[in-house]
Amino acid sequence: MNDERDEVIDRAARVLSAMPPAKPGAVARVLMAVRANQARPLPFWRRMARGIDETSVSAKAASLLVAASLLVGFFARGTVDGSVAPFGGVSGAEVALQPVANGSAENRPVPVAMAFDLANAKSVSVVGDFNGWDPSATPMQRVGRDGPWSATVFARPGRHTYAYMVDGATLVTDPRAPRARSTDFGGDASVMMVRTP
Amino acid sequence: MIREHVSDFDPTLPIRAKHGDEQAFIRIVEFYYPRCLRFARNMLGGEQDAEEAVQDAFVRVHDSFPRFREDARFDPWLFRILANRCRTLMARNRRHRSLIEYGDIPLTASAEQEIGADWAEEVRVVLDSLPPEQREAFLLRHVEDLSYEDISAMTGAGLSALRMRVKRACDALRARLTEAIQNER
Repeated sequence: MNDERDEVIDRAARVLSAMPPAKPGAVARVLMAVRANQARPLPFWRRMARGIDETSVSAKAASLLVAASLLVGFFARGTVDGSVAPFGGVSGAEVALQPVANGSAENRPVPVAMAFDLANAKSVSVVGDFNGWDPSATPMQRVGRDGPWSATVFARPGRHTYAYMVDGATLVTDPRAPRARSTDFGGDASVMMVRTP
Repeated sequence: MIREHVSDFDPTLPIRAKHGDEQAFIRIVEFYYPRCLRFARNMLGGEQDAEEAVQDAFVRVHDSFPRFREDARFDPWLFRILANRCRTLMARNRRHRSLIEYGDIPLTASAEQEIGADWAEEVRVVLDSLPPEQREAFLLRHVEDLSYEDISAMTGAGLSALRMRVKRACDALRARLTEAIQNER
């Protein structure tokens, strides 16, 4: 245990043993990255590597999902016109998307303009409880050559937690938004309140 | 110091996390994050790189839990994954900036660095100047307090090679830091 150790090495080891201060929300960001990674589709070879039992369960789940999607699509067909809310925020009345499960106008998803300034990023997406923390669900577009990243998300009125996925690997909280404990991860995330239109 | 930290850890957490207990995984991250960040910062130097390495390591730990052997010790398994992430980041950074070549340790620092240099900063300067293999072996042995057997299992290096890496790291630290201690007195 004490091989090679003397006063100098002991002092050096003590300096290096000091725990660095972690930034607020660091653990939460790790947990969000784990969750986001889980939400990513597995590459083909990893899907194949999983056992036959699991594949059969996944196939059943996929079949149910497809059937559910077809049903939802059938009932929602007449109410969705495909319009997209422009950046900058619009009133909920302009959203054509109708919730199937809850017909209340107060509970319709509302477009929320998101903007995030990070000049060095190659890609940014919004992840939050409104899109299942899926990094591929809401990619952001850069405004101009060096402008901020922007996207519009649809969220029901109420309180939502979210973060930004940068370069597909790093989760960053919104510096302009308050933080709170996320029920998804037990750690910190950015918080926004969406008002009823 | 490290031993006291480890004694607080519930050894059933990795097994529970392996079987899908998300709360157990959260507690593992909360418990090990500071220690992992310390190792990554000592290895990589930069705070941002260290945070990235730790985050990537925990994502891989979560992915790899089904392959974690329940009779294995968790620390070496976690640090093997983290050390791999640090090596990957070092390789990536090497493409962007030149590093000190393997085996080359600066023998003398400039007068400005020596006079009045802060002890902790001096330690980090010397540590950064070590070849990555020596730095890694020294940190795992003398800061993370892992046994040579554990480090060997983690890195794939033989015991004698590891002892030599640690010895060379200690020699370099001793040579540079003894002078700094004398200047303090």
